[in-house]
Amino acid sequence: MATAIPSIACLGVIGRNNNPLHTSIFPSYDPSTNSFQPVRTPLQFALILSSTLDVFELRSRQNAAAGVGLTGDFGLLHAVDDRLAAYGFETNTGTRFVVIVDMRGRRMDGAVAAGLADSRDKRIAGAATGLREGEMRPVFKAMQVAYIRLMQNPFFDPDEHSPPAGQGGKKITSRKFGEEMRRIGENWTPGVTNL
Amino acid sequence: MASSKASRLGEETRMDKVNAELVVLTYGTIVAQLCKDFDSDYVEVNKQLDKMGYNIGLRLIEDYLAKSNTVRRCSNFRETAEMIAKVGFKIFLNITPTITNWTSDGKQFSLVFDENPFADFVELPDDGRAQDELWYSNILCGVLRGALEMVQMQVEAHFISDVLRGNDTTEMRISLIRYIDDELPPEDD
Repeated sequence: MATAIPSIACLGVIGRNNNPLHTSIFPSYDPSTNSFQPVRTPLQFALILSSTLDVFELRSRQNAAAGVGLTGDFGLLHAVDDRLAAYGFETNTGTRFVVIVDMRGRRMDGAVAAGLADSRDKRIAGAATGLREGEMRPVFKAMQVAYIRLMQNPFFDPDEHSPPAGQGGKKITSRKFGEEMRRIGENWTPGVTNL
Repeated sequence: MASSKASRLGEETRMDKVNAELVVLTYGTIVAQLCKDFDSDYVEVNKQLDKMGYNIGLRLIEDYLAKSNTVRRCSNFRETAEMIAKVGFKIFLNITPTITNWTSDGKQFSLVFDENPFADFVELPDDGRAQDELWYSNILCGVLRGALEMVQMQVEAHFISDVLRGNDTTEMRISLIRYIDDELPPEDD
């Protein structure tokens, strides 16, 4: 018997002015055709990403009122349906990272899952029922590191990427950053502690 | 002077602490601004960087001589190369480039940079020309040219490859043109 385990379906980076900076979409396993296909169209993913903005705003207002969490993990933002769930992270400067997880994105052989001995692998097997608190932390950490590296590049002009004050709402075009997002999205599985 | 002595000298020289990221970001901003000011005329940017480096080199040599406690002249160009790589770069950038590809007449060599602190986060602009025209770290060529000129050596230095361009290594080629004789100032008539 095969067990479905979660995988990343989409990584999004959103600027402080709610402008989209970057979107990476990853294919999920489709048992009916035995192939890897994205579960939504790019437009649908863009809509899911946009729909997280209100949650971000609400949470940060709550955080500000409580005097906590300038930078940090916002946890589960909303569960889109029984398959997709969006998790969020906001940096100090207002840049948001969103991870959309497909709860049944990968398949794992049931016999293998049952035979797994150590605790990390048990977690993977058990993860089919949902994700534990803090499971997304390494993903956000890796995304933040990639974003910091991008900002350090002298030829990257942050002004070009922020619509009201700057010269326009450009998206991130850096090849290195794109590759890094791809690496993060493809390598994450539940239980990974370091990306 | 034996090569082991040179590396010991570089090791021993006390380093002042400057936050590396500050230096890297400052240099990056200079290059990016030059590219903007000269409308992405990268040949001109290279020239400007070299000129800035030359002016730095003229001053830096004094500091180098004081810090490295150099007591005598290098007897040949090979020794000079050794001191540049193992003392100079060690003092100011805390890296030690490898010296290779000597010509048989001992007048040309290459410095291969295994790491280049200036280029740590850099990704060259994706306009199809920067990859072929811009030498991002060109300031270093100017520094060497300026510094060596102050100790009676006229050299020519340029980069021939750069990992930022997708090459495997970062390599600078340095050729000795001539030793400058101490010339007397022209006499007044």
